[in-house]
Amino acid sequence: MSPMPQPRGAKVSLPSNLYTAILAVAVGVVLATAAYVTVACYSCYGTIFGLP
Amino acid sequence: MSTLTKVLIVLLTVFSIFLCGIVVTYVANAENQKERADGLQRNIRAAQSKEEQAQKDLEDEKQRAQSEKTQLDAELNKLGMQIKSLQGELDVANRERNQLVQKVASMASTVETANAASKQQTSLFEAAQQEVQSLRTEQTNSRKDLDETNQTLLEKMTVIAQLEDQVRRLTEENQQIETQLNQYLQQYGRIAAKPPTTVATRSTTVQPVQPGVTAPAAPTRTIALNGKVTAVDLKNKLAEISIGADAGVKQDMTFHVIRGDRWVANMLILDVSPDRAVGIIDRSEQGMEPRAGDIVATNL
Repeated sequence: MSPMPQPRGAKVSLPSNLYTAILAVAVGVVLATAAYVTVACYSCYGTIFGLP
Repeated sequence: MSTLTKVLIVLLTVFSIFLCGIVVTYVANAENQKERADGLQRNIRAAQSKEEQAQKDLEDEKQRAQSEKTQLDAELNKLGMQIKSLQGELDVANRERNQLVQKVASMASTVETANAASKQQTSLFEAAQQEVQSLRTEQTNSRKDLDETNQTLLEKMTVIAQLEDQVRRLTEENQQIETQLNQYLQQYGRIAAKPPTTVATRSTTVQPVQPGVTAPAAPTRTIALNGKVTAVDLKNKLAEISIGADAGVKQDMTFHVIRGDRWVANMLILDVSPDRAVGIIDRSEQGMEPRAGDIVATNL
C-alpha cells in the first residue's frame, strides 16, 4: 500500500496506524486537560492569566 | 517506525494521561483563593469597623470614667468634710453622754432617796388616813349630835318666840288697860299709882350652831368693825372681806353682810390674814346672796 516500491530482499512489514491513534489520544487528553484548567480558572478568578 | 519510537510513543501517552489526571485532580480539589480572599477582606473590614467602634467606646468610657472620677473626687472631699464634722459631733455627743451618765448616776441616787422618802411618806400617809378616818367617824357622830341639838334648839326658839309674842301682846293689853285706868282715874281726880308699863322688846334671837364649828363665837357686839366684801364663792359659801387682823378681826367672829339698809347674810370668820379675812356664809336672806361690794359690819 505504500506509494514507494519496496526493494527486493528487505523485510516487509505491514503499515499500522495504532501508534498514531495512541498519539491522538494523548493529544486529546492534554487538550481536554488544558480546556478544563482554563474553564476552572475563568470561573474561579474571572480571568485566565494574571491576578484578579 | 522503530521499536524505540513505538516505546517512546507509548510512554509519552501514558505519562501525559497520568500528568493530566494529576492536574485535573489538583485543580478540582484546589481551594477557591478568590472567595477566601474576599472572606478575609470582609473580615478585615469588619475587624476595622469593630476596632473603630471599640476605639470610640474606649474614648467614651475614658470620658465617662474621667467624669465619674471627678464626681467621685468631689464626693470624696464632701464625705471627708462630713466625716470631720461627724467626728466633731461624735466628740460632743460623747461628752454629753458622759455628762448624762454622771447625771443618771446622781439621779439614781436621788431616786433611791426619793423612793425611801416616798415609802416613809406612804406609811405616814396611811397612818394619817387612818387617823382622818377615825376623826371623820367622830365628826359624823358629833354632827349627828349637833343636828339633834340644833333641832331641839330651833324648837325651843320657836316656843320662846311664841312666848315672847304672847308676853308682848299681854304687855300691850296691860298698857291699854292701864291707860284706860289712868283716864278713868283722871276723870275722878286721882292719879295712877303705878307708872305705865313699857312693851317688852324682842330679845336677841339665838342662832343655831352650824355643823363643824365647835369653838364658841368671839364677842363681837362690843367691837364696831366695818368693811366690804371683796370676793364671794357661792359654790362653797365662802366670802372674803377687806379687813383683817390689823383692823381687829379674829377667827370665829360673826359679821353681818348689809346691802343698802337691808340685811343680806351672816358670815362666820374662818381664816384671818393681816389685811383680809375669809369666812363662811352661815345664814342669808331668802332670795338674796352676798356679792362683792356689800358692806360687812359686826353691829347692825
